[in-house]
Amino acid sequence: MKYMIMMFGEAATMMETQPKEWIVKMIDFMTQLSQDLNDAGELVTAEGLADGTQAKTVTYRDGSTVVTDGPFAESKESVIGFWIVDVEGEARALEIATRVVDFTHGPIEVRPVMDAPPEV
Amino acid sequence: MSATIGTEELLRVLAPQVLGALVRRSGQFDTCEDAVQEALLAATLQWAEQGVPHDPRSWLHTVASRRLVDMWRSESARQRREETAAALEPADPAEPVDEDDTLRLLFLCCHPALSIPSQLALTLRAVGGLTTAEIAHAFLVPETTMAQRISRAKQKIKAAGLRFELPVEAERPERLRVVLHVLYLVFNEGYLATSGAAPHRRNLTAEAIRLTRLLHELAPGEAEVAGLLALLLLTDARRVARTDAAGWLVPLDEQDRALWNTSQIDEGIALVTRSLGSASVGPYQLQAAIAAVHVEAPTAKQTDWPQILALYGVLERVSPGPVVTLNRAVAVAMVHGPRAGLAVLGTLDTDARMAHTHRLDAVRAHLLELAGDSDAARLAYQRAARMTASIPEQRYLALRAAQLK
Repeated sequence: MKYMIMMFGEAATMMETQPKEWIVKMIDFMTQLSQDLNDAGELVTAEGLADGTQAKTVTYRDGSTVVTDGPFAESKESVIGFWIVDVEGEARALEIATRVVDFTHGPIEVRPVMDAPPEV
Repeated sequence: MSATIGTEELLRVLAPQVLGALVRRSGQFDTCEDAVQEALLAATLQWAEQGVPHDPRSWLHTVASRRLVDMWRSESARQRREETAAALEPADPAEPVDEDDTLRLLFLCCHPALSIPSQLALTLRAVGGLTTAEIAHAFLVPETTMAQRISRAKQKIKAAGLRFELPVEAERPERLRVVLHVLYLVFNEGYLATSGAAPHRRNLTAEAIRLTRLLHELAPGEAEVAGLLALLLLTDARRVARTDAAGWLVPLDEQDRALWNTSQIDEGIALVTRSLGSASVGPYQLQAAIAAVHVEAPTAKQTDWPQILALYGVLERVSPGPVVTLNRAVAVAMVHGPRAGLAVLGTLDTDARMAHTHRLDAVRAHLLELAGDSDAARLAYQRAARMTASIPEQRYLALRAAQLK
């Protein structure tokens, strides 16, 4: 089963408020997590996204498309990184997410990736 | 030749020679490129088992020609079978290497009609002899995506009727500028990757240096080619010192200079010294000269900043742009004090080209820190950390900010 494990905007804010030692530990933690998932053969892909302030939003308004700066959502609701893992089941995906939240204290969303993308 | 270098290296040297000879005869870049890739694959498998043949280039040439004939036959089955078959004499493998073939290939792959991602991918495949899978790994995209990109680029070459020829004299400087830019971008793709995490990407720096060196051998009179080669060597020489054991970026003034690669430095300095004597001085030579001044200093404190400032002044005249101004601001700060550097940075605040890069705030933060304004420096580091798209840079900037709390 594939799951997407999504991390939200708080991490960027935390980088600005936490002391240097925490930042160093956090990065070690993330590196170790990627390594562990990779070694376990569970990691499909993982990406970090640039800060929400760098985003653009494209919307449809009054019959035409409009591009605006930034996301509409508050930055704490904006995705800043994700892992896609291929694991036994939901319990394992939640275990991975719990490990992250234990460290960052920020919320994580875990969602199943749907099977069989449409044929191209 | 085959006794002194490895098979993979040998294949990559021969790839553009064989491809060039085939394209020159047939004019069909797309099919020849496929045929050569298949011949390279066949060689990798067969040579590993049976050893490298006596004349490896002829071997590749023959296998690729046969494959080409097969491809044309199956294609022409639907067309005028006999007429085409008559024209399918295999190319003569004993034909001497035409050195300009590789140049023609480079100019074709770096044609301004192609998009930049296509130019990079096609150059690495056709001139570098890398497989689609290797290029995909290096650019962190799925192999199917890279295969499509390469295939579209080849269709574009065919559809636009781009020719396998050297550009006419009047167009040569501009066309060469594009080729150099492509090689520079290939290098950067690899250089910006962090240590350990992405070895496929770091191979790109070596490949960019290899191809620039090849271009320098083919066009020794082009001072900017020598300049780019010097710049890449002098930059790559500091690669090991650029990150610490934990993967953190180490700024130039804190690097352990004993880790720098002295043979690359010597080669780079010799190249830039020779090329600066030529009539016209271009941006790559000047950037290489600046890199040379940096590496010539035994310690960061002994850096000849007035010399660097003078070189940035020339660079700003030859090739003006916000990034040059940004770098000159650092040199101004080192010569005339951080406040003077900050004043130069101020001229970039309204520059739209700087609005979406973290670099302005990153440099401002550094100069504010030098000026002793910790609060403003911390905020500027934080703004820069939010703006960068590079994870190692984001970590570095966040850490600098945290150190000022």
